Amino acid sequence: MAEAVTIRPTFAWRYRKVLLGGLAIVLFFAAWQAVFLVVPFDPLFISKPNLIFAGLVDLVDSGDLFHDLAVSAVPFFLGLGAAVLIGVPLGIVMGWRVRVGYALDPLMTVFYASPLVALSPLLVIFFGVGVAGKAIIVFVLSVFPFIFNAYAGVRAVDRLLINVVRSLGGGEWDLYRKVIFPSVLPYIVAGARIAVGRALIGVLVGEFFAASEGIGYAIARFGDLFALDRMFACILVIMAIAVVLTEGIRWAERAAFPWRIGQ
Amino acid sequence: MAGYIQGRNVSLTFRPPNRTPVRALGGFDIDVEEGEFLSIVGPSGCGKSTFLNVLLGLTKPDSGEVLMHGKPIGGPGSDRAMVFQEFGLLPWRTVQHNIELGLELKRVAAEKRRAVAERLITLVGLTGFDQHYPHELSGGMKQRVGLARALATDPDVLLMDEPFAALDAQTRDLMQAELLRIWREARKTVLFVTHQIDEAIYLSDRVMVMSKRPGRAKKIFAIKLPRPREYEMRVTPEFNDLKLEIWNTLKDEIVV
Repeated sequence: MAEAVTIRPTFAWRYRKVLLGGLAIVLFFAAWQAVFLVVPFDPLFISKPNLIFAGLVDLVDSGDLFHDLAVSAVPFFLGLGAAVLIGVPLGIVMGWRVRVGYALDPLMTVFYASPLVALSPLLVIFFGVGVAGKAIIVFVLSVFPFIFNAYAGVRAVDRLLINVVRSLGGGEWDLYRKVIFPSVLPYIVAGARIAVGRALIGVLVGEFFAASEGIGYAIARFGDLFALDRMFACILVIMAIAVVLTEGIRWAERAAFPWRIGQ
Repeated sequence: MAGYIQGRNVSLTFRPPNRTPVRALGGFDIDVEEGEFLSIVGPSGCGKSTFLNVLLGLTKPDSGEVLMHGKPIGGPGSDRAMVFQEFGLLPWRTVQHNIELGLELKRVAAEKRRAVAERLITLVGLTGFDQHYPHELSGGMKQRVGLARALATDPDVLLMDEPFAALDAQTRDLMQAELLRIWREARKTVLFVTHQIDEAIYLSDRVMVMSKRPGRAKKIFAIKLPRPREYEMRVTPEFNDLKLEIWNTLKDEIVV
């Protein structure tokens, strides 16, 4: 009996962070639902959680949702992959080769700080409405967090470790492999968290402008058709994906870089 | 007879951008015999660490020459290894892989590296910690790893740049005794830079006092205490006389 008394508060205490966070989400949807008890509900302008949920079930049942997600995933991962492959080496070289850094820093800052999403119509005109156009929009939006985080990571490399490797006979390539890249890796993963959000925006915007399938297209079309329940269902799915991806990266960070915990 | 390590009239001025140049070394001379334990004490900023970096091959002097086996030092080489004050361990590597670093850079095969690391882990008293990361170790243990890493490539000369300065007083006393034990087994020439006169006397065959910046050799004291050294020797009149003598030589150089 004494056990039962002690265990229950421990559970609530242990998971208080998750429980409180979850409670806020539940309250948000409950309030959304409840508001229409006093405010007149017009399905042409707004939807509410019970209808959205029904719409979501419908989209899942018909298989449309997964089809659209699969279509959108292709340019998302192509663009993001290219952003890693180009952004990381560029950022590292900018950080390690001082003159390259001086030369490119202002230009890259201008690009990073500006609303590049405004270039999307132009990119669609250049590269078409297919996978390539969308992948390039994703790339343009998500490459800069990789560049700048890798750049910052290199500048934060402990000079002592450089001297250690040099003193043991390591050359330039050894410095990259044994010190610079491992030091920069956590910065790159932190950059990936930002980049993923921007890449999602890239996919959606690309599909808003010109597409015949994909989740962004679905959102735009359901909006045009005043099927707001389905539109919101798609938006919620995108939100959930964004949360899963960024939290997944955060979790991977803790698992992969145990030495960072103490820092 | 030519010394094992010779520094002749070594001068070096640092020229940091937008700041006044700093003359770290000015006409520094040194002779180190093979197998000896030589400590260098001097005021802060007198260039003692700078000289170790020159000897290590990371820094080039403006003038003068530094010879080892009669040949000028052209860069880092596996006949010398440094133990750093701030340890310099790679945080993403386990104890074992930190120790293997130098061998890895020399492209030594994995099994051979592991064998060397295992032997050194035992030698420095880290048995059972081979798979730990540096952030899981105490300061004393970190420096044991630093020492093992320096010994891994089997250098002839061990350069130690205030290796125990970041440790608390008791750990420091223990590490000094440990170093003497390891030195007896590994038989290296040691150049040991420190601020602590006690430490220098206790460990060394000779103690060099350096002048304030730009650093020169001011005076060298031969330490005639018998080996193996015991902790009790630190409270003998002989030890204290030496300490006072070295302090009197050093104190004029210290600028507060």
